Amino acid sequence: MVDDKLVMMANQIGRFFVPQRLADPVAAITDHLRKFWDPRMRAAIVAHLEQGGADLDDPVRQAVRRLKEAEAKK
Amino acid sequence: MSLLVETDYGTPASCADEQVTLTIDGKSVTVAAGTSIMRAAMEAGISVPKLCATDSLEAFGSCRLCLVEIAGRAGTPASCTTPVAPDMVVSTESERLAQLRRGVMELYLSDHPAGPASSECELHEMANVVGLGEVRYGHDGANHLAAAKDESNPYFTFDPAKCIVCSRCVRACEEVQGTFALTIQGRGFASKVSAGTPVDDFLSSECVSCGACVQACPTDALIEKSVIALGEPERSVVTTCAYCGVGCSFKAEMRGEELVRMVPYKDGKANHGHSCVKGRFAWGYANHHERVLTPMMRESIDQPWREVSWEAAIDRVASEFRRLQEKHGRLAIGGITSSRCTNEETYLVQKLVRGGFGNNNVDTCARVCHSPTGYGLRTAFGTSAGTQDFDSIDQCDVVLVIGANPTDAHPVFASRMKKRLREGARLIVVDPRRIDLVRTPHVKADYHLALRPGTNAAVLNALAHVIVTEGLANERFVREFCDRDAYDFWAGFVADPKNSPEAVSAISGVPPETIRRAARLYATGGNAAIYYGLGVTEHSQGTTAVMALANLAMVTGNIGRPGVGVNPLRGQNNVQGSCDMGSFPHELTGYRHISDGAMRSTFEAVWGRKLDAEPGLRIPNMFDAAIEGTFKGLYVQGEDILQSDPDTKHVAAALAAMECVVVQDLFLNETANYAHVFLPGSTFLEKDGTFTNAERRINRVRKVMAPKAGMADWEITLAISKAMGFEMRYSHPSEIMDEIARLTPTFAGVSFDLIDRLGSVQWPCDAKAPQGTPVMHVGGFVRGKGNFMVTEYVATDERTGPRFPLLLTTGRILSQYNVGAQTRRTENVVWHDQDVLEIHPHDAEQRGVRDGDWVRLDSRVGATTLRARVTDRVAPGVVYTTFHHPETQANVVTTEYSDWATNCPEYKVTAVQVSPSNGPSDWQRDYERQAEHSRRIAKVAAE
Amino acid sequence: MRLFVPRDAAARAVGADRIAMALEAEARRLGRTVEIVRTGSRGLFWLEPMIEVETPAGRIAFGPVMPGDVPALFAADFGARHPLHLGRPEELPFLKRQTRITFARCGITDPLSLADYRAHSGGRGLERAKSLGAAKTIEEVTKSGLRGRGGAGFPTGIKWKTVADTAADRKYVVCNADEGDSGTYADRMIMEGDPFVLIEGMAIAGFAIGATKGYIYIRSEYPDAVRVMERAIVLAEAEGLLGAEAKFDLEVRVGAGAYVCGEETSLLDSLEGKRGQVRAKPPLPAHKGLFGKPTAVNNAISLATVPAILAEGGEAYAALGFGRSRGTMPIQLAGNVKHAGLFEAPFGLSLGELVDEIGGGTHSGRPVRAVQAGGPLGAYFPRALFDTPYDYEAYAARDGLIGHGGLVVFDDTVDMARQARFALEFCALESCGKCTPCRLGSVRGMETMDRIIRGERREANLALVEDLCRTLKFASLCALGGFTPYPVMSAIRHFPEDFNRPRLTAAAAE
Repeated sequence: MVDDKLVMMANQIGRFFVPQRLADPVAAITDHLRKFWDPRMRAAIVAHLEQGGADLDDPVRQAVRRLKEAEAKK
Repeated sequence: MSLLVETDYGTPASCADEQVTLTIDGKSVTVAAGTSIMRAAMEAGISVPKLCATDSLEAFGSCRLCLVEIAGRAGTPASCTTPVAPDMVVSTESERLAQLRRGVMELYLSDHPAGPASSECELHEMANVVGLGEVRYGHDGANHLAAAKDESNPYFTFDPAKCIVCSRCVRACEEVQGTFALTIQGRGFASKVSAGTPVDDFLSSECVSCGACVQACPTDALIEKSVIALGEPERSVVTTCAYCGVGCSFKAEMRGEELVRMVPYKDGKANHGHSCVKGRFAWGYANHHERVLTPMMRESIDQPWREVSWEAAIDRVASEFRRLQEKHGRLAIGGITSSRCTNEETYLVQKLVRGGFGNNNVDTCARVCHSPTGYGLRTAFGTSAGTQDFDSIDQCDVVLVIGANPTDAHPVFASRMKKRLREGARLIVVDPRRIDLVRTPHVKADYHLALRPGTNAAVLNALAHVIVTEGLANERFVREFCDRDAYDFWAGFVADPKNSPEAVSAISGVPPETIRRAARLYATGGNAAIYYGLGVTEHSQGTTAVMALANLAMVTGNIGRPGVGVNPLRGQNNVQGSCDMGSFPHELTGYRHISDGAMRSTFEAVWGRKLDAEPGLRIPNMFDAAIEGTFKGLYVQGEDILQSDPDTKHVAAALAAMECVVVQDLFLNETANYAHVFLPGSTFLEKDGTFTNAERRINRVRKVMAPKAGMADWEITLAISKAMGFEMRYSHPSEIMDEIARLTPTFAGVSFDLIDRLGSVQWPCDAKAPQGTPVMHVGGFVRGKGNFMVTEYVATDERTGPRFPLLLTTGRILSQYNVGAQTRRTENVVWHDQDVLEIHPHDAEQRGVRDGDWVRLDSRVGATTLRARVTDRVAPGVVYTTFHHPETQANVVTTEYSDWATNCPEYKVTAVQVSPSNGPSDWQRDYERQAEHSRRIAKVAAE
Repeated sequence: MRLFVPRDAAARAVGADRIAMALEAEARRLGRTVEIVRTGSRGLFWLEPMIEVETPAGRIAFGPVMPGDVPALFAADFGARHPLHLGRPEELPFLKRQTRITFARCGITDPLSLADYRAHSGGRGLERAKSLGAAKTIEEVTKSGLRGRGGAGFPTGIKWKTVADTAADRKYVVCNADEGDSGTYADRMIMEGDPFVLIEGMAIAGFAIGATKGYIYIRSEYPDAVRVMERAIVLAEAEGLLGAEAKFDLEVRVGAGAYVCGEETSLLDSLEGKRGQVRAKPPLPAHKGLFGKPTAVNNAISLATVPAILAEGGEAYAALGFGRSRGTMPIQLAGNVKHAGLFEAPFGLSLGELVDEIGGGTHSGRPVRAVQAGGPLGAYFPRALFDTPYDYEAYAARDGLIGHGGLVVFDDTVDMARQARFALEFCALESCGKCTPCRLGSVRGMETMDRIIRGERREANLALVEDLCRTLKFASLCALGGFTPYPVMSAIRHFPEDFNRPRLTAAAAE
């Protein structure tokens, strides 16, 4: 239930950034998640990706992957 | 402090640049051309007798007391209607003038009650001034002394016997308020003030009870009932209204420790002496018997409340919060501050959470209203705030109102707007509903774009499409002030045929030609200003739509000077302030992201605590986390989240899942039904602080009486913080503002001293702008170059279908405010005692619903019942209601969908079904039972 | 045979329509072809219905004609042997002494025939104005010395120049035909008898000041005038004299029965659809008038005089008159007067000449005691002041006014205390209620005058009335309250005996 909601929210963010004039819209999505999502939400979406990332739009999936990498580095 | 009486100059100030010098009673006087002789005299300290003149109204010239003599001119012209001229020589006193004034006064007093009058009665004052002794006409002639009083309005009476037919009330209703409810009925001696038609009284007329007529009345004919009941006030304290984001200045007029009335303050920069029914009259809640004045607590929400001491309650809060953090981790608790609270209170709550709780789980109710404004305007312009001051409207030629209903929700500013529209400014309204502004006396929208709820971004893109493809863009402005590459990319995007009015018409239901004409008017009609409200922000694309508005302003060059701009109309008194104060989980004061280490360390140095660099939970995320089980304790100051947040059942489940909910409020609100500790709050009359209104204006809130429950809200937060081991030391809210100023560059120059000196100040206020900044982005954007973002329309996932074929949208009504906690506890219920569902006759007919019927409103998340009002204000397929009454709980049906960037809920679009009903829904029944149970207070001695 | 029967309301009131019908019926009975032309009135009301017949020697008048006279008129073949034969109307002394400029065509032409209008020199004024240009047109009007015929006597040319010099996207010409003064009827006569001259005058005004729209505000009590004006506008539009091509539109608006709407600012409020209430001046209507735009508000007679001024030149008009009152004035004799009617003459005739010689004394045959000049708010003149020349300044010097040109004659049975009370009652009835002196003072004045008439504390109450009149005169917002003291004070000053005599009412009460 909560995962569904986070997936929907992440996809919404993706749909805004993808059409922008950006060299790397995926980075913008990752940045938005970093800046506005609380750590447990980020952890939940990363966990969702790890379980296959169902329903995540492609650029969003990439963004969550980068988020996972960035979080791991910390 | 004594009673404050502002100088009345008799006629409005002239705004001409040219100066004129003349002589009045031997004194040389220099004033702006166009100034009346009366005002020029008053500015020189010479007071000319007057009754029909007052400086909030255009000169009228009816009382004939202000006659003067002008050298070289025949007769005795009225000084109120005669403008000054160079080298004019005026005498305001002579034997002839004295004789004439006595003659006029003798006539007045021959038809006026002999009894005592209040000290404010200007007629009696003038009778003394002109030195009238005897009334030679006697008192047995024709008169109006037996005329019946009109006491229908709950807040004021009209006594025609005391009326001098000066028309000040009628003119105030027309010129100041713009409602045109009053008139003079009859002619000659039979002339009398009449509300509406001859069969109407004040209550049944169009009167909106703004109080302008009472304010304007020179005698006791129109007078507040509270003055009659409580006696004349003795002292006044200037303070700021705690209702909407207009932020009107008021004089709280006191008799002893009792508030007698609230009078709009003429020097208030936001309201210039005007008011609405809420701020002017609806303050009775402060003394309402349901106000809780003792702290209370309980172990679980099925127990009755127990009254306890402040110490016990505060200890309980601290120990519970510590326990929850020990058991569930540092992130398991948080706080919610409110836009109803002062800047200082809000600042303290976020400081408590960040410093005392050690996390960033703090949010404000701006989350659910204007958070997209912050994000959107910051991205486009560089500042999370509206660009103009309210006075800017006076120079506006085209007004675009979108997703706002100013005459109901921001009535005092709406009156300014209507005045400008009557002067000839053009009007575009974008709203699914035919709001009053679309057609109101002497105001008519040139274009009403009655779009389908949820299609703002599409329509705004279509407006931009017309501007770009028809060559109406302001190339010079874009070249000079905006990011060129961003513009080119965006222009390519909006020019795409998918954004044409023709294509968007199919989505929005707005005829293409209407969109085209509106776009041309906005782009070419002179100074064009956008005013918007929650009808823009409370959507899944709320932030996108805010950016689209910014794009429109930039592409047409309507930014950076008076008369233009992008202006959010803030719903609550301190929406702007609560956002400024760092109450969003991801940023500290002045909109600086919590991840900025250097900035964070300045706070750490002052606060003496290490701060978490990770953003915290936003309100909807808190609910989700509570249901998930990772969020257990919540401190809620001044917000009724249960009634105001969407999907009530979900909120109730979240609250029920928490172990310690602390509510600080005036009343046992709906959230308190799920609370464990109740801390009685103080009204705006009982504390010091500041509110920041929609135009970034920081206004003082001044304490006019001691906190009824013993502690002001800021003191409660300090006590909790101290009990949790994070002691903050302030002896007065001014010291809190000093700290805010020290830590926040845009507030660097702000202090209570400065505000007291200037009356108010608009941030940014710093070394560069020591007197504040009325209009932003003058000569360039705060962020550097204006940024055009692509605002692709994405349909909301909330769709109509066979089960839920109608779209519900919500809004406010004039007499009620927000969740109604205050206004429902005043006489304002005379105008609106329940929420009703507006439904188009076609949809009503299909469902067998008649006007006034009970109907059931179902969405996929819940159901409620309310009465139907069949009206063509809404289009077929759209229904509308207000959310002021907990019995209705409109939010039982609103959903969890939200804005992509900020999680601001999508209140304005819910797919629903409407069907005839004969009683409350199951949820309403269950809730009522639970609420009743939960509100019990055990009457035992405090421990 | 061509017959001329007036269609003027005053003639119709005494049976002109019945005469026209009787003439037609009799002609039919006799099998004779007659053409009956309905004209305006010549303004000799004691001779109405006055009909005329066209003869090779010019028109011959008969009057006053009753329906019963018609067969005999035919029998006499409209010849000199009929007892109602008046001869050529131009030779009647009342007409012969006149200088008809404004009313040159009135009573002669068919008011709704543009051909007739043109045949009698109509239209030349507008033509000349167009050839002169706007500025020169205004100069010509200024040169003529024409002053507002509504009563205020403000120079028309200067008013027009003010409007012309005020920049605005839209301007208006408004014709004030709310002729409410008792004993006046000049506006009505010109509208019913020669509507095209008013239309031409307004078109010239519009051209001169830059207005493309004009309104004629006619009092509701003038239904005939409304009908004729509306019809004339349609005819003028059909000929392109009005409308898009002429760049000037005209519209008739009918008042709602308030006397005060003859005051220009109330008239503008009424035209805007509001309650007819006086506006404070400034701003002048010339700067900010109808719908807030620069507006020339002119009396119907002022406007109807303009075409002649343009056609003949301002100097020709200015050559007539007295002192600063230039040109002619249509003086309207009414009340208890033998020869009631409209007498257009250059300014300067004495009141005595007008009343005794031209008016022929009273209708009742009793001595003339008083004349009220200038309408219900004008002063009463006693015989002692009959040397006053007809001139704005000379009347003002004697605390009177010529107003809109009305003279109402009273014989020696008049009670001047009742007349004074009537003036206050009139003010009370017609007050718009805006300003205090007029709203309250009129009623208090009436009450005080009643006490005087009843003989209560006469001296003190007369002093109070005098104080009240000062307040009314100097403190009222408009001329309604401001001029009410003229009849009241002139009655008290010139006829003091009427305010100090035993009353029948007092006797009856015992």
